[in-house]
Amino acid sequence: MQNDVEKLVEMLSKVFSNTKIKEIMTRPPIVVTQETKIKYVKDIMRIKGISGMPVIAPGFKLVGIISIEDIIRVFENGSFDDRVNKWMTPDPVYLKEDEMLLHFLQVNEDLKYGRYPVVNNDHKVVGVVTKLDILSWMFKKLGYIYVHDERREKALNKKYMSTITGELLDKEGVDFSYKIDYDSVEMIGAAATRLKKFLKEKKIQEDIIRKISIATYEAEANVVIHSSSTGNVYCWIKQDHIKVLIEDFGKGIEDLEQAMKEGFTTAPDNIKEKGFGAGMGLPNMKRFSDRMTIVSSIGKGVKVEILYYIKEK
Amino acid sequence: MKLEKIIKDLNLRIISAGSDDIEIINGNIGDLLSEVMRTAKPDSVWITYQTHQNIIAVAEVVGIKAIIIPYGLHYSEDTAEKACEHGIYLLESDESAFAVSGKLYGLIS
Repeated sequence: MQNDVEKLVEMLSKVFSNTKIKEIMTRPPIVVTQETKIKYVKDIMRIKGISGMPVIAPGFKLVGIISIEDIIRVFENGSFDDRVNKWMTPDPVYLKEDEMLLHFLQVNEDLKYGRYPVVNNDHKVVGVVTKLDILSWMFKKLGYIYVHDERREKALNKKYMSTITGELLDKEGVDFSYKIDYDSVEMIGAAATRLKKFLKEKKIQEDIIRKISIATYEAEANVVIHSSSTGNVYCWIKQDHIKVLIEDFGKGIEDLEQAMKEGFTTAPDNIKEKGFGAGMGLPNMKRFSDRMTIVSSIGKGVKVEILYYIKEK
Repeated sequence: MKLEKIIKDLNLRIISAGSDDIEIINGNIGDLLSEVMRTAKPDSVWITYQTHQNIIAVAEVVGIKAIIIPYGLHYSEDTAEKACEHGIYLLESDESAFAVSGKLYGLIS
């Protein structure tokens, strides 16, 4: 098992080797001073569930590392009233926060330590990195990269598989499509108002049209303000539901969870002055839809799919 | 409440007009577009300090029939053009947003 994990880490790490250590490390680090008694170190490890800690001098300067193995040695040969400096490993191997993941792998290949302190340019301890940190970070990354790639293939084949219903939506059989190829905020709303007009012609219920228009406006605003790319709005009208897909090929959303929070925005000031960037875009899309999903990947774009159920009158 | 009566009672200047005989049943105040979309009801009047052309698209998707800006502000030309296109009323007041909203509330509710 341990070997499998090692292999997996090694294999996958190559994909992400240009990631910086600081993106992966655990912070803030749990640290102890040289003067701390071993009995307290033992308690900290037990309570925090960790097996080692950097040892620091005043100013968070790295002076050593103390691990569970050291505690065992104290147990065999020493006293729990001894202080850390007597048992720690001085001048431990450390990583710098701006070093790449690849560097960690090279270091780790030779040394195979469980954990490495991470320091900044001033040699201050700012984090700790373990193999587990890398593994969990990678799984998180892999999760949405995989999803995205699958979508992309479908999209290239003019088909899009719904993330909500799982059906294949044919982009050639789409009922409405509109290209967002403008980057001026003044143009925001062109797609949404066009779609509204189309839905009116199709005699869709007023309250559904209103919800679709608002959600589409918000998604369109996001494409124009945030994506730095072009986008498309598609709409399919089915017997019992209406589906809208707004896609772009731009920057992607860095932290979806944060973006979903009301009030969170990354809009620049000149756009905020115009009343955009209230941090309500995604929450509004959710509010004005029956179902909504977002698929996003850094550098590859965002796809927002919203679904409305047509109820019998 | 007929929009016509609101315009008359509040002494508003019409910059751009939509269709006749519009019934107003609600109002909204706000400068954050998303907030307005979140809270505004259909068939509303909207008091705002925003004067750029995007307010028309916002009004259109929400179902706002008329926009009022308080004294000292003016709509940009392309805003008026867009308003014509979508049949949204653009109105200017010589009073503060506070005064306009007070009178409007008294009229509608």
